Amino acid sequence: MQAGLKATIETKKNELGSEFQPKWWGKTLGLYVHVPFCATSCDFCAFYQVQGDRAGIRAYLEGIEEEAAQAAVAGQELRTCFFGGGTPGLLKAKDLQILCETVRRNFRGSLVEWTVEMAPSTVKIDKLKVLKEQGVTRISMGVQSFDDALLDKLGRQHSRKQILKAYDLIREEGFESVNLDLIFAIPGQNEARLKEDIRQAAQLGPDHLSTYCLTFEEDTALFVQLSEGKVALDVDLETRLYLTCWEELERLGYEQYEISNFARRGKQCLHNVNTWKMDQWIGLGPSAASQFRGRRYSNVPDLDRWLEGVKANHPNWIDQSDLNEALLLEDALIFGLRMSDGVDLNELQERFGRKLTRSQSKTIEALESDGKLRKSGGRIRLTKAGRLLSDAVGSTLMV
Amino acid sequence: MKTDHKRNFSIIAHVDHGKTTLSDRLLEHTATVTQRVLTEQHLDSMDLERERGITIKSHPVTMHYKAKNGELYQLNLMDTPGHVDFSYEVSRSLAACEGALLLIDAAQGVEAQTVANANLAVDQDLVIIPVINKIDLPSANLDLCLKQLEDLLAIPAEEAILASAKNGIGIEEILEAIALRIAPPRWTDCGETRVGVFDSVYDAYRGAIVYIRAFSGKIKRGDQIVMMSDNTRAEVKEVGVFTPSMQKSETLTAGDVGYLVCNIKNVAEIKIGDTITHYHNQAKEMLPGYQEVRPLVFSGIYPVETSDFEKLKAGMGKLQLNDAAFSFQAESSMALGFGFRCGFLGLLHMEIIQERIRREYDVDIISTYPSVIYKVEKVIGEVIEVDNPINLPDPSAIERILEPTIKATIHVPNDSIGDILNLVMDKRGVCDHTETLDETRLMLVCNLPLNEILVDFNDRLKSITRGYGSMDYELDEYRESKLVKMDIMVNGEPVDAFSSIVHQDKARVKGKVLCEKLADIIPMHLFKIAVQAAVGGNIIARANVRAMRKDVTAKCYGGDISRKRKLLDKQKEGKRKMKNIGNVSIPPDAFIKVLKNDRD
Repeated sequence: MQAGLKATIETKKNELGSEFQPKWWGKTLGLYVHVPFCATSCDFCAFYQVQGDRAGIRAYLEGIEEEAAQAAVAGQELRTCFFGGGTPGLLKAKDLQILCETVRRNFRGSLVEWTVEMAPSTVKIDKLKVLKEQGVTRISMGVQSFDDALLDKLGRQHSRKQILKAYDLIREEGFESVNLDLIFAIPGQNEARLKEDIRQAAQLGPDHLSTYCLTFEEDTALFVQLSEGKVALDVDLETRLYLTCWEELERLGYEQYEISNFARRGKQCLHNVNTWKMDQWIGLGPSAASQFRGRRYSNVPDLDRWLEGVKANHPNWIDQSDLNEALLLEDALIFGLRMSDGVDLNELQERFGRKLTRSQSKTIEALESDGKLRKSGGRIRLTKAGRLLSDAVGSTLMV
Repeated sequence: MKTDHKRNFSIIAHVDHGKTTLSDRLLEHTATVTQRVLTEQHLDSMDLERERGITIKSHPVTMHYKAKNGELYQLNLMDTPGHVDFSYEVSRSLAACEGALLLIDAAQGVEAQTVANANLAVDQDLVIIPVINKIDLPSANLDLCLKQLEDLLAIPAEEAILASAKNGIGIEEILEAIALRIAPPRWTDCGETRVGVFDSVYDAYRGAIVYIRAFSGKIKRGDQIVMMSDNTRAEVKEVGVFTPSMQKSETLTAGDVGYLVCNIKNVAEIKIGDTITHYHNQAKEMLPGYQEVRPLVFSGIYPVETSDFEKLKAGMGKLQLNDAAFSFQAESSMALGFGFRCGFLGLLHMEIIQERIRREYDVDIISTYPSVIYKVEKVIGEVIEVDNPINLPDPSAIERILEPTIKATIHVPNDSIGDILNLVMDKRGVCDHTETLDETRLMLVCNLPLNEILVDFNDRLKSITRGYGSMDYELDEYRESKLVKMDIMVNGEPVDAFSSIVHQDKARVKGKVLCEKLADIIPMHLFKIAVQAAVGGNIIARANVRAMRKDVTAKCYGGDISRKRKLLDKQKEGKRKMKNIGNVSIPPDAFIKVLKNDRD
């Protein structure tokens, strides 16, 4: 490391080391690493991704090393880590090893959960071995569907056969936890076909499942099809499919703990739960978001510009905002209500040292009397009907 | 120019019969405007007029024409507004003329407005030159038009000139007729100077610019003048003519049409139809026909954002500078906060003003249900005028209510007579008599309450007759009527802006329509919303807004939080643009949309 950079880091350490540590931060700190590479872009995906070549991947890994060193200055202790993308699994075993070592070398703390996302087509035995050795505890696999015809509609990246094979490999390697992502409301998918997907997913026996309603994000191939009228939105069907997921998975022993997330008891994704509770997390890599030390920001979603910023020790951030108690209280309420457990109002108000606004309290009462929300003890939770409206609820709760 | 070589004329026509195109051809033909500078529809200057294809503000122009007899004539063309809302303005423009071109669309024949305006012209003793326009259309029916001329307007068919303004056919003939058939300026022999006012516009630098027709004497810069309607004294700063742009001149003499600038800033002080005379040598009598212009239709206009109140006020002030027929004064509403009670000549006038506020002054506004002026006789004997339903006294204090009625002239195809009579009945009207126009059309003369035609009468007339029907109206007497105030409640909260005065027997039906429309317009909320209509505390109609069922984002992780907040913020912003009444957000255009008829 250059001497100048070291000096800067020292100064920063001093600035940050003893400065405010408001009580509203929980004790957990999550780390998110965005791996932006994909083999091809999926028709539905709007996440930042590029097609990786050797040079690009090498530069990326070096960039992460530097960014990690810069980010870890305060000596914070990590509790969870999440490699998302893009397709982290697309990295070769060797590169995955470098990435894992980077995290372990720069941050302190013992990780209680370490997730890596993998696409079924990228699951290989050598990669899994490296991840296991490095301490990764959880593999999250983007299955999307077991129905080859529906997979086609999404711009086929893999087949049902590949999914089954990949799952077996992951299980053979003995990871503590496996998540499967499913997508629903794929054009052509009805309740019966969704039930069949869920049945097949559950049959494999993962301890965690995420089901996402297909969204038509701008700049995706599907969005283009939608605007050209080749596919159509059916809000009523989507509503029924949401409920199908919720009911089927509950029946199969997966407890819903968030709008799109289901787990066997005790197997919730801690990393995500912490973000919904408005704890702190640091994001590395292009487009990764952070919420750390009173600020929320995202890295620029561009590999080159991100690298430039990292090399100059002058990060290229976008969407920066300063956090305060009121905003965090509001977010903890809005995003907390997306969870089945809801939020404990007393705890929330205690933690952020302020009360709900009058209009927030009134909204909560109105929602309760309308059957969209239930109160018990100090907790408020959305009912199923309320959860289906969580965006509308959220915008109503915004001050 | 000698006075007896001046010709003052108007063009009267139904909307779309080609008046503006004909004006343009005349300007071209007399080389008043070269073809290159002649943008389509030269005389309509406001964008809004162009968009709607109608003339709102009349705009005169002076041309010179050398007739076949070798004499040079000065032709002053008064372009008149083409909508019933502005019939007084039309009559004042006509009063400034000695003749009128009566333009009839060869394919459409005589329409209600044509008859009404021709009658206005006859009342003013104008020489009428009938012009059958668009004769080159394949659907032209000359025989019918000529027959109608004779039957309906009692104008000999041989007087008609056959023309196509679009293709320049008959233009020379029209100019000849103007020069030779129309009488020279009248009322020139009055001993004193008399100048008629037929319009005014506001100019930011010069104040009110008064459009005038000199009848006798002369007027020039420096003259001390008097406005005879209210004895306002002023000094003339400038006089000039329209070529068509304004051009200063020395004096205006009898028979001239032009403009005058004096030390009067506000057009509201200029009364259309007024007579100007010299202060030191005053005329004894005004020119005939002056009336005070009074708004017929009233509606509240409120800013969506309460902070826009001052901006709205300033905008209205500026609009009024140029539109003396538009009035406003501050009022407040429980539902909408602070705003203004505004008076308009009619519904079109109202819509135009509202649109101009939105466009030119960039204020989002809400307008309330329009009302007419009711005369309310109280039990204690006092008579009050009510133009806002919320001011209607308690029923127990009311002896009786009188409402304004109109005499409507309606032209309809024979095959829709049944539906039209039903419509007239539905609107509480009485058909006084019918007359056959030709083999296919009838003319009805009806008496209708003004408040019934405000909202959707014309739309429904057009829809029933597939566009072939037309209507014109004039005010008739006030009549006693069983009227009640109908309130609208949204989730139990009364929204005073939706209150209206309706006939007792129609309250239930109207309430139902209004509730259903509102329920349709109000977006789905988290909860079910009841929209109710009530008369005197009794609910008479109800409709529901279904509760929203799904509004949820599936993926929401660390990286999505900022994005998600923006999305929610946008939703909230959308709500902020709406009017929040209780916990219900009502889109600002709901207040005007409920007025629109969409049953057809």
